[in-house]
Amino acid sequence: METTKTIIDYTHRQAGHCESGATSNLFKFNGLELSEPMAFGIGNGLYFSYIPFLKIQFAPMISFRNLPNTVFKRSTVYMGIDATVIKKIKDPKEAMEMLDRNLEQGIPTGCQVGVFQLTFFPPEYRMHYNMHNLVVFGKEGNMYHISDTVMEFPQLLTYEDLVRVRYAKGAFAPQGKMYWINHAIDKPIDLKPAIIMGIKKTVNEMIGIPFPLIGVKGLRWMARDIKKWPKKHGNDKASFYLGQILRMAEDFGTGGAGFRYIYGAFLKEAGELFNNHPELLEASDMMGRTANKWREFTYIGARNCKNRSKPEEDYGTLSEKLIEIANDEELVYKKLKKIKF
Amino acid sequence: MEENQNPVYKDKAYGQYRELSYSYQEGGKFEKTVGFHGEADRLILQQAWDLFHERIEDARQRVLAGKVSPVVYYMEKNLLDPLNLSMMAGISVWRVKWHFKPGVFKRLNDKTLQKYATAFNINIDELKNVE
Repeated sequence: METTKTIIDYTHRQAGHCESGATSNLFKFNGLELSEPMAFGIGNGLYFSYIPFLKIQFAPMISFRNLPNTVFKRSTVYMGIDATVIKKIKDPKEAMEMLDRNLEQGIPTGCQVGVFQLTFFPPEYRMHYNMHNLVVFGKEGNMYHISDTVMEFPQLLTYEDLVRVRYAKGAFAPQGKMYWINHAIDKPIDLKPAIIMGIKKTVNEMIGIPFPLIGVKGLRWMARDIKKWPKKHGNDKASFYLGQILRMAEDFGTGGAGFRYIYGAFLKEAGELFNNHPELLEASDMMGRTANKWREFTYIGARNCKNRSKPEEDYGTLSEKLIEIANDEELVYKKLKKIKF
Repeated sequence: MEENQNPVYKDKAYGQYRELSYSYQEGGKFEKTVGFHGEADRLILQQAWDLFHERIEDARQRVLAGKVSPVVYYMEKNLLDPLNLSMMAGISVWRVKWHFKPGVFKRLNDKTLQKYATAFNINIDELKNVE
């Protein structure tokens, strides 16, 4: 068997969040310098949903991010960039052939994968989580060169392993989803309308949806539920459930505090772009302080998880803290809604 | 009590990777730092893995005692619940739960066993034997 070697000159930059990191790196490859927070903000990464009746890893499902591929798709649509997203490829062999063809043409390609069987991934994160994203940028015989923004350096993965993670099963199965930018971005792009659209959409998703489990309302619902957990499920289970919230918020590639830091950084950058827009900068400051409150919540919660038999901090305190966070966040979104650009 | 003050992962393979995280200082400054996990992050991750290992060990003991079938052990080992396992193997939840009985498991044909084996990424011999 001949060994083919195609490696695209692709810069790997580590990022806080897998998808916005991949998006930002793909833009950079095509000649548009866009930071990670910017990609995250324009592509509506921020989200919250709490689904108590759906269990993931034995605890209620909590999501701080939008559905997979929203960031890439929305950011390309809002900025008017020509990109391709293929949602579902039935045959794994065909999916890999398409990937190979792309690589031969010199197009780095993003893929949605499942984390559990990803061999290079930190072992402490290997849980069933199918919304991870990575970029394939080279092939050498049977090995693929992978840029995974959670990792510090580019990684290698064999053909079989890549097929397995691209066709991981379970909730939100990737089904071989892949995406790429069609050609280099040569004309200068005006970011301002994209930013305005992105902010409006995020605000709508966080406070505009009339459903109690999504956005700020979902956060309040969860805060009320936390109070009931110890009585309803016993101390052990309650502390595990609490741990799940914290894990979702802090680990799993969020850049800290459930993406609130990244979003704050986005607001700041946007404010600077709009000639130091005072209200945007103020909103960014508020978001940053909310994020710091999330951190505090994590510290208290983690201490609670440690001595689960006799919780130092009552679940009631935690619940109050969360409601306070929800109120603060609502103020930020309301402020953003009122801004006139 | 030094261990309690500075918790480290019990498993040496954990916590080897540096990650990027953001932070905010009053006055409008967002910073990116690359580093290992803080204490709180490690605590909550350790808590989850403690529970998973507990469940795996518990399932192993029950399989060895002959109370449940090896499917349960491999299900716990892969951090699955019956619903997810049924999605992965393509067998309905009710049948998956039915196969938890050792007697029923012994009578399964190779086709069904192969479905489980593929889902767990092992071969049939491994599926039948739990050590």
